[in-house]
Parts: sequence; C-alpha cells; structure tokens
Amino acid sequence: MIEFKNVSKTYAGSDRAVVNDLTFTIQNGEICVLVGPSGCGKTTSMRMVNRLIEPTQGEILIDGQKNTSMSGTQLRRKIGYAIQQIGLFPHRTIASNVATVPNLVGWDKERTASRVDELLDLVGLPPDQYRDRYPAELSGGQQQRVGVARALAADPPIMLMDEPFGAVDPITRDRLQNEFLNIQQDIKKTIVFVTHDIDEAIKMGDKIAILKEGGILAQYDTPENILANPTSDFVSSFVGTDRVLKRLSLVRVRDMDLEPANGGDNLPRISDKLTLKDALSEIIGAGAERGLVVPDGNGGNPRGTLSIDAIKALSHEAEVSSG
Amino acid sequence: MDDFMGVLQRPDFIDNLILHIEYLLLATLLGIVIAIPVSVLVNRSDWASTFAINVGNVGRAVPSLAVLVLMFPVFGLGFDSALFALTLLAIPPIMINAVVGLRQVSPQILDSAKGMGLSGGQILSRIQVPIAAPIIFAGIRTSAVQVVASATLATFIGGGALGDYIVEGYQRNNTAIALAGALSVAVLAIITEVGFAGLERAFTPKGLRIAQKRGRARK
Amino acid sequence: MDSQDPPTAILAFLQAEFATGEQKKVGLIDWEWLRDNFMEDVVPALFQHIYLCFISLAIAVVISVPLGILAARYRWLYPWLTAITGFFYTIPSFSMFTVLIFVIGLSVGRTPAIIALVLYSLLVLIRNVVTGLDSVPPETKDAARGMGLTDRQILFRVELPLALPVIVAGMRIAIVTVIGIAVIGAYIGAGGLGDLIFDGITRDFPTLYITGAVLATLLAIGSDLLFVRAERMLSPWARRSRGAT
Repeated sequence: MIEFKNVSKTYAGSDRAVVNDLTFTIQNGEICVLVGPSGCGKTTSMRMVNRLIEPTQGEILIDGQKNTSMSGTQLRRKIGYAIQQIGLFPHRTIASNVATVPNLVGWDKERTASRVDELLDLVGLPPDQYRDRYPAELSGGQQQRVGVARALAADPPIMLMDEPFGAVDPITRDRLQNEFLNIQQDIKKTIVFVTHDIDEAIKMGDKIAILKEGGILAQYDTPENILANPTSDFVSSFVGTDRVLKRLSLVRVRDMDLEPANGGDNLPRISDKLTLKDALSEIIGAGAERGLVVPDGNGGNPRGTLSIDAIKALSHEAEVSSG
Repeated sequence: MDDFMGVLQRPDFIDNLILHIEYLLLATLLGIVIAIPVSVLVNRSDWASTFAINVGNVGRAVPSLAVLVLMFPVFGLGFDSALFALTLLAIPPIMINAVVGLRQVSPQILDSAKGMGLSGGQILSRIQVPIAAPIIFAGIRTSAVQVVASATLATFIGGGALGDYIVEGYQRNNTAIALAGALSVAVLAIITEVGFAGLERAFTPKGLRIAQKRGRARK
Repeated sequence: MDSQDPPTAILAFLQAEFATGEQKKVGLIDWEWLRDNFMEDVVPALFQHIYLCFISLAIAVVISVPLGILAARYRWLYPWLTAITGFFYTIPSFSMFTVLIFVIGLSVGRTPAIIALVLYSLLVLIRNVVTGLDSVPPETKDAARGMGLTDRQILFRVELPLALPVIVAGMRIAIVTVIGIAVIGAYIGAGGLGDLIFDGITRDFPTLYITGAVLATLLAIGSDLLFVRAERMLSPWARRSRGAT
C-alpha cells in the first residue's frame, strides 16, 4: 500500500508548486495510473515514491512506513523501475541488464540466472535466444520487454512505470499492454503507472488519478466511475467527448445479458470476447440492429443476440445513476 | 646506409630511445592520473564541465615548443623541465575526452540506473566509465602520440631523447644521423598510435561495438 | 639561471612576467630591449608566422574540399584518404621536416615547412568536409531535387552552405595545429615566431624566447576564438532554433 499524505513539491527558485497537496492511497495489487496533460506533475509524483525526487512537504508511506526510513539507494532496490526511453545499459547483455538489481542486492549466481530466464520467458523473449544479446540487437518493442523484465527482476512488491510502452508503434504498444495485464493477473504488483494517454490509463488502470496543471489531483477513482461521473469540467474535457464510447470499451460482450437467439442467421456474428465498443462498431458496420453473439473462436453455438438498444440502455442507465 | 645503421648501433642511441619511451610513458601516465580525477570531479556540474572543456581547448591550442621553452626558466635545463612540459601537453586531450565521454551517457540510462538503486559511485564505475571508455582511450591515444612528437623537442631544453640526433644531423649536415633520429621517432609514433588504437578497441565493451556498427549501418 | 632552485626561479619568473611599466635590468624579461626591438624583430616575426600559417591553411582547404566532396560521393575513397592523411598526421613534425629536406631534397626554407603544414591539415579538413556533407538531411536534398535543382546546384546551393559550419570547425582545429607546428618550422628556416625562440635559446636570452612562446600561444588561442566566432556566424539557423526552444 502506498499512501500520499499532503505531498507537495516546489523547486528551489520557483514559487509555483509542481505537485500540490497530493493525498491518495494506492491499494496492494492495484495498478494506479497517474494521468494528465504535460506539466501536471505526474512523473514528479511517481519519482517521489522512490525518492528520485524529494517532496518539499508531506510524506509518502509504503506499507505504513515512511519511505525516508531507509537510504534512497536501499529503497530503490526494493522498487521496480521502468521508463519510456527504457534506459537499457548498452554495454551489458540482456541477461546482465535484467540481473542488475539481483546483483546489487547480492543474489547468488544460480538464483540470478534462473530468475533471468524465468523473466525473459515471462515477457516473451526465449532466453536461449536473447540472454547473451546486446540491447542494440533488439527492436524497440523487445527492448521495452527487457525494460519491464529488468524492473521485475528482484520481485519487488512495488513497481514504478513511466510511460513504459511509450516508445513503440501503436500496434506493438497494444500487444505489450495486453501482455502486461496478463502478467499482472499472476504477479499482482502494486504499480504506479504514468501516462499522458487517457486511453492507456483507462485500459491499464484499476484506479486512475487525473492530475491537472500545477500538480492538483482533479479526480481519483476507477476508470468506470471517472467516465460515468467526471467531477469537473477539466476531467470531462480531459477524458474526451467520446467518454460514452470509452466506457463501452470497458465492458465485454460476454458480461452482458443477452436476448435469445431465434432465427438470427443473417445477423452479423460477434465474438463474446469483444468490447461493447467494438461490438457496436461491428453491428453498425453491418447495417444491422443487432448481432449474433458467438463464443470466441467463432466455432461454437450462438449464445444469444445483442441489440444496439441494449447497449444504449446500458450507457443511459449508468449516466442516470451517476448523474 | 652504413652510417645510418652505425647511428642505430651507437651505445647512446639505445639510451636515448629508452629516454624517449620514458617520456612517453611517464607523461601519458601523469596526464591520465591528473586528467581523469578532474574529469570525474567536474562531471556533476554543467558549469564545471564546460569550464574544464574550455580550459582544455585553450591548453590544446598552446604550441608544444612554447610549453617546453616556458618551463625552461622555471625548472632549468633537463629532464624535469621536459617531463613537466610534456605532462602539461598530455592533460588537455585526455581531459576533454573524459569530460565529454562521461557526460554523453544518456540521461535516461543514468535515470534508470539511479532508479534501480545504484549508488553514485556504482553509476560512475559500472555505467559511465565503461560506456565512456572508448572515448577516454581515444583521448589517451591522442595525448600519447603528441607526447612522442613533442619529446623530440626536449633536445632544445637539454632534455635529450631522440631529437638529439635530428639536431646533430642538421648541425653536421649529416643525412644518416638526421634520418636515424627522424625515422626512429616516426616509427615510435606509429607504434604508439597503433598500440593505443588496439587498447581502445580492447576496452570498448562488445555491446557498444555492436551499437556503433548498427548505427553506421543505419546511416 | 639554470642553476637556480625552482622556488626562486618561479618567483623571478613571476616578477619578470608581471613587472609593471618600470624598467627592470634584472629578471627574465629585458623590457627595455623589448621596447627598442619590438618593431624590428618581434612584429615581422609575428606577421611571417601569420602569413606562413594562413597560406598553408588556404592551400590545404583548396585541396581538401574537392577531395572531401569526392569522398562523400564515392565512399570507397574515404578510408583510403583517411588512412593516408592519418599517416601524415601521426608523423612527428620534426621528423617530417627532416624527411622532406634530407630525403626529398628540398632546400631549407619556407617550402618544406608549408608542405608539412598542408599535409598535417588534410586529415582534419577532409574528415570535416565529409562529416559536414553527411550531416545534410536526405529530405533536404530530396526536396531540392524535387524542385528541379541539378546535382551541381544542389552541391553549391544546398549541401556546401549547410556543411560550411562543420568545415569551418575543421579549419579551426587545423589552424591551431598549424600555428603550433610552424613554430618548429623556424628551425628549418621557415621564419616566424619560432625564430625568436631558437635565437633566444642560442643566445641564452630569455626575453626573446619567452616573447616568441607567449606570442605563439596568444596567436593560437586568438585564431581558435576567431574560428569559433566564424563557426557561429555561419550557422545562424542553429542559434535561432536554439533561441526558440
């Protein structure tokens, strides 16, 4: 658990705070996304957790203990750290890069080596093939995987990630995001994740902290609640006028109550794995009013039909309940 | 030709050759011992780094013969003057390259090193120095070759070494003696250049060599 | 004075160096001599030095720019050019002079000095011409071609102007090297500030060699600054874009 308590940061020689009286709590095993426009202090806030930056006021507690209770370097060895530009060490092999923190904290060779292989497997880089390569021999996407593996190396309970998938093309980013979410289901780390991209925040976050300029917390809640119920004009304009559609992308077809499928042979077929947003797009694209829901893989029996009205009703219902 | 070989076989030739090599090794080593710690010290501050580079550039502009003769009134004739001057000449290239080399390590690499809990000393010794090694060695090579050339001028302030033969050759208008000096210095310079280039390669981490090659291929 | 122990010597040296207007008979610098002979001995040596160095640099530029353009275009040429000019660059200058005189048979004087100075400048200049041309973005050349410029026009109107700051940076390194080596050239009769140094050593007259050494140093540093200036002036776009961010 990470607790921000009245944390402020003002740089020497400036009277404007970059982070302003930040108070919120991140629960164990959650991904908390800090998101906001540039200059909102999201990276600064993240960097105060492992004390790359020291706050001018307030304190940050990790599992109830002040993060100043040990030296900065000791603290950082216990917290995973991955950044957008990756920062792999160009003169070291992939294995040696991943082994950085285990070596620092004095793991023995065997344990480190097997951990490195395990992590490379986890991020989808076969160890036999990649262990002894150098960063320059990898693509951008592969380097980002190594960056994530390196941050996970000593199995830290907390990870800080600053736009860790920022430096790759959108398709690779999407894949890396999905893979990381899958990994997170098993490892259940407490993660502070910084991005400027609201879509990434909605996709990755269990909670989202929206910051506005000057480092002020505008709203802190689950993606669903933020989309359904933005508490200010700033938040609603930041999440965008398509927030209704964005909410649809949080719900999957399989989670909906379906209507019985009688005689829907000429309806468009929709995988139950799709999000409502994608399903809506499929239905409208086919010029239909409803779609035939089939299990993922398109092979099994239809599970029912989903109508545009049902989707409309859902979004309306949430709007009313939150409004 | 007989004369030429004759000079090389003179008993004092080997002494002067050794003296020349002594200048090379001592001045380069002293240059390293002085320049590297200074570079590490200024590394933390932008201002100090820029200042060190500017001082280095000015130092590099000073003609080598000028440095030698300006030592002469201070330390008098002989070895000490020459060694002091040659050390002064060896410092700027090593210092400039070391400062630039340490600072060109990208801020993201330094940030992730710090973020993973490496201490300041560990970042310097495990990250910055290995990455800067090729550039630092290039500076050392430049200095070493320059010391070989400048040590030839030590003869003018009574510092001996292989320059003695060149001067003797001019004074007696003797081709064999002049060439014995000139060619032995030239060969020493080339050996130094090649030898230090080898060291430079040996100290370039493999990952950086690959990165360099990729960079070139991409161009 | 060579028997003085270092601390006294340093003191004497500093006293002499920073002596004010009052005349000093004792000390390293004989200010009276300097005043009386400044115009006849010192100034001509300075001008000879400047002439020698700039003529050598000019010749080297005239050789290097076409060679650099060729090497940028025909890439196989480049390693050969750098190997050959790099070899010249490695040979100590005193050796080079000696070989030019005793082996090639040039007579003592300005010619072997200028030849050596040109040879020393080639590596840096050619390398910077090629680097400069390489630094022109391909999109820029492509746009020029798309607007109908011929290869020749692209070279003279786009590539060379954009490469000029880098070429001038090379000239800066070359001129500093040349000024330093030209001092040694006085030993083979090339004249210049080295004359003062060698005369001073022969006559055991510190005023003379200290004047020579100090002026050579100032000339080198001054030229360095001059070319830094030129480099900045020639790339106004770099300054503006830096100012904008």
